[in-house]
Amino acid sequence: MNFRRAITVYCADRPWRTIIATSVLCFALIAQIPKIKIDTDPENMLSESEPVRTFHNQVKKEFSLHDMIVMGVVNDRDPDGVFNPRTLKNIYLLTQKIERIDGVIPIDLLAPSKVDDIRQAGLGAVRFEWLMPEPPETRAEALRVRDRALDNPVLKGALVSEDGKALCLYIPIRSKDLSYKIASRLRDETRALAGDEEYHITGLPVAEDTFGVEMFKEMAVSAPMAGVLIFLIMLFFFRSFALVAAPMVLATLTALATMGLLIGTGHTVHIMSSMIPIFLMPIAVVDSVHILSEFFDRYPAVQNRKETIVKVMDELFDSMLYTSLTSAAGFGSLAMTPIPPVTVFGVFVAFGIMLAWVLTITFVPAFVMVIGESSFQRLASRKLPEGKSPVLDKGLRALGFWTHDKAKYSLIASAIVMVLSVVGIHAIHINDNPVKWFEEQHPIRVADRVLNRHFAGTYMAYLVLQENPGEADFKKSLAETRKDLERRVDELAPDVPALPEIRPRLSEILEAEAGTQLQKGDWSILALLKTMERKTAGEAEKNPGGLGRAWDETNIFFNERKVALQTFKRPDVLRYLESLETHLQASGRVGKSTSLVDVVKKVHYELMEGNKEYDAVPQTAAGVAQTLLSYQNSHDPDDLWHLTTPDYEKASLWIQLKSGDNKDMESVAELTGRYFRDNPPPAPLSFQWAGLAYLNVVWQDKMVWGMLRSLMGSFVMVFVMMAFLFRSALWGLLCMVPLTATIALIYGLIGFAGKDYDMPIAVLSAMTLGMSVDFAIHFLQRSRTVYARSGNDWKTAQGEMFEEPARAISKNILVIALGFTPLLVAPLVPYQTVGFFLASIMAVSGAATLVLLPALMRYLEPWLFRKFALKKGDRP
Amino acid sequence: MTAKFSSGLLVLIATLAFPALAGAAEDAAVAEIVRKSNRAAYYAGKDGRSEVAMTIVDSQGRTTSRNFAILRLDVEDGGKQKFYVYFHKPADVRNTVFMAWKNVGKDDDRWLYLPALDLVKRIAASDKRSSFVGSNFFYEDVSGRGVEEDDHSLAETTDKHFVLKNVPKRPGDVEFSHYLLWVDRVTYLPMKAEYHDKNGKKYRLVEALEVKEIQGHPTVTRARVDDLNSNGHTISEFIDVRYDLGLDESIFSERYLRRPPREWLK
Repeated sequence: MNFRRAITVYCADRPWRTIIATSVLCFALIAQIPKIKIDTDPENMLSESEPVRTFHNQVKKEFSLHDMIVMGVVNDRDPDGVFNPRTLKNIYLLTQKIERIDGVIPIDLLAPSKVDDIRQAGLGAVRFEWLMPEPPETRAEALRVRDRALDNPVLKGALVSEDGKALCLYIPIRSKDLSYKIASRLRDETRALAGDEEYHITGLPVAEDTFGVEMFKEMAVSAPMAGVLIFLIMLFFFRSFALVAAPMVLATLTALATMGLLIGTGHTVHIMSSMIPIFLMPIAVVDSVHILSEFFDRYPAVQNRKETIVKVMDELFDSMLYTSLTSAAGFGSLAMTPIPPVTVFGVFVAFGIMLAWVLTITFVPAFVMVIGESSFQRLASRKLPEGKSPVLDKGLRALGFWTHDKAKYSLIASAIVMVLSVVGIHAIHINDNPVKWFEEQHPIRVADRVLNRHFAGTYMAYLVLQENPGEADFKKSLAETRKDLERRVDELAPDVPALPEIRPRLSEILEAEAGTQLQKGDWSILALLKTMERKTAGEAEKNPGGLGRAWDETNIFFNERKVALQTFKRPDVLRYLESLETHLQASGRVGKSTSLVDVVKKVHYELMEGNKEYDAVPQTAAGVAQTLLSYQNSHDPDDLWHLTTPDYEKASLWIQLKSGDNKDMESVAELTGRYFRDNPPPAPLSFQWAGLAYLNVVWQDKMVWGMLRSLMGSFVMVFVMMAFLFRSALWGLLCMVPLTATIALIYGLIGFAGKDYDMPIAVLSAMTLGMSVDFAIHFLQRSRTVYARSGNDWKTAQGEMFEEPARAISKNILVIALGFTPLLVAPLVPYQTVGFFLASIMAVSGAATLVLLPALMRYLEPWLFRKFALKKGDRP
Repeated sequence: MTAKFSSGLLVLIATLAFPALAGAAEDAAVAEIVRKSNRAAYYAGKDGRSEVAMTIVDSQGRTTSRNFAILRLDVEDGGKQKFYVYFHKPADVRNTVFMAWKNVGKDDDRWLYLPALDLVKRIAASDKRSSFVGSNFFYEDVSGRGVEEDDHSLAETTDKHFVLKNVPKRPGDVEFSHYLLWVDRVTYLPMKAEYHDKNGKKYRLVEALEVKEIQGHPTVTRARVDDLNSNGHTISEFIDVRYDLGLDESIFSERYLRRPPREWLK
């Protein structure tokens, strides 16, 4: 009695003890589930310390940027769109309510009654006031609100649509995970308003948070539905309710226990990990279907449940072990990706697979022993129908003959399919967009379409610019500062006699500070000027009378110089920014961009009596500074700090995109990079991206390449395992054929279908690899046993292979492929994708195993079995 | 019977009239506090000047500073006033001038002179509760809110302060529902103001941090305003305060915007 059989016998002999022991183990893990902590933030696809993420958070803080819910208001019934007194009044009232919603940041709320406008107010006067201080009473007043908003380049395309028909409120929220809650509140509030207008809510934070919420609902619907369907199909094949219960219990225990372990070990349930059960269910069921299929076929002949199960397990043990190991390796390889949630996902699915295997070899035999006798009587009475077999059996037999006799055709057909697949793979687009994780008709998708038709775009990215001077820049600036300081002292000396007196001390401080900075590699002349400003102010305070006055003058010098050099007050820098914006706009890839330049130009233009000639950056830095000082007499002067920092050393360019597709964001980033290369900026500017739209690009990139690397890695690993299992590289290679064909065909189809290669599809590559090798292992492993049994003749052996083994494979294909069809109608696209993949993986790898493998084996028979024949004595 | 009826009527009249009488007396007292406080805060001397060092600190602790001089002239005590604000620093706004004529019962007149654009601009009054040059102070904090714009009542009298509750007569024009004002019982200087928004939440705080007596006038020499919504604050220091300088009214004219009266500006 070998080890394999020992386990089966042990468990079959002590069924209750086994069942209780395995159940206790599982339930101990399941008991952890109530501690669940949900995290639906795709941002967590990147680790906390990922540079782009820390930068994104730093930018959010530095420019007081918040995640925003976008609420668009559209009125198709009124000829003036939303700009009629009634709709505007509703919007006004709604804004007041929104301000009070917990989690909303009222101060940065963008709404007609909450944004400042600057405009002409009679001769030589300008007026700063709210765009819509109160709801308009008449049509003319309502249209005035529209016209003023359209006249403001900061508001046009953002707050008001370019066609002047729709409005958009931007609702900043404290944290992204409040967006679903707040969005629901908003929907309730809008429902209470009577009017012709429609309200649409979207934005990446809402999409992401809503996805999280719906995903969990979906798990509660799709997964059980799939479970029921699998159960019914198995019942159809295996007739015995009790027998079929075993894989169901096993799959459920596996999925729940794995989730329990995940939660118990302190992991949050993320979008990725929420899919663990749906991945584990089919995998856990597969082995049981092999067992059941075998058991079902053998029991009538043996008529003894223990004997049957021992025989079945004997036959399947190696195949099941290796299929489990390869699947686990496939998923385990995800641990090597640089994306924390994917790592967690991979590791826990791998754990789940091995748990399913343990349960399969312990729990299933025990379960079989305790099932009521009646189930077996039904099985026993089932006659082995000679010559009068079911459709499936007949079909398989026919297929068996065909693949043997017409092997050539099957090989040629396969080769053609493979070539086409490769062509398809080349056509694959790597792209993702969390909004597209919802179905076409989902309110978020509808809102996304409607709003991006009216507005410049609901997807935000931020281009952050700052001066990044080198050592040479610093030294040059320092030399100029020295020279100008000397000149200033000489100039003022007649009026301020103490100036020459402090000259040595002044120079000493300047050189010391410059030296310190050089040593630190801090080449910012602005930093030096700021230090000098502080130091001279300190000296001015310490020294009374004439000396104090002299220090004061030097302080003025450094202040003057600092403000003149502040990067984003410099007209040349602002004009560079302006041309960058124009360039991006002209490309058609950007819906709208907003920057400090737009504010400066608008205020300058209004100050200059609305003369178009002055719709430009002022000529001098002081002109810019004074324009901005005027602007800051508004209700919310801090609005400026969303676009630059108070020291004017950094600026953020807001980019609005009409599409959240990563490929569109990528193309804008690429365009920007090229612009900087082709057009050297007037100051040593460097740029960096932030914003959710960009963050998604980064993690997609990591995901795609990480997945590809892990796929390659596991491919090699599976081959090594197969070569080891079969003690032959040739057999190992053969085993890789169906899996390679499956991956190629599925991804080829994706390429031809024009479906984007997105996050769910990337993750499913691991699943494809893990599952499509299963059938090959079963088929090849059993071919060897059968070959030996059938007198070393492949034709006979193949005939037998198309009996029970082929039936098990076919039933598995049908159970999994059909069982997961409920996923195809799920409202979340990733679930549909999983459903489609499961069906495809099963169908394609099953077909490859049953068509391609036998054909290859026919031609390779001499090499395959020669080696095997030598070794056949080793194995039972 | 008649007598009884008469006395009964008297009692009735007395009960009806007395609270009203008591209220009227209180109203008069409140009005007096308001008047004195307004004078103490905005009308010390016939005219005055001060250097102001303003530090604006945002929620992230980033500071911006502005240095300017304020000249003030009372056209009528407790009534019309003129202000001239001249910027010294930052250097790129030097020579910028902000001028205001404070009117009673009608909108103020305001001007801005931007030297770098060589531009004199009138700023049409929309409301006075917008930022003063990017700080957390409102224009109205600088010029004073018209006492006639609110209904005042005495909420509390403490050891040191009269606490006035002020409710705007036209709530639609302002962002607060009411504000409480702590008026010093000795100097009548407003020492603290707390603004409550329309949800009843306290969101803004203006405080006098330091008071000095200058030429016999108790004067706030350090003030702070906190915006509890944005978590930013601004501190103003008033340096070199002087009263009754004999400023010429012609200084407060458009002509002088381009030609600052250097003798009064440091």
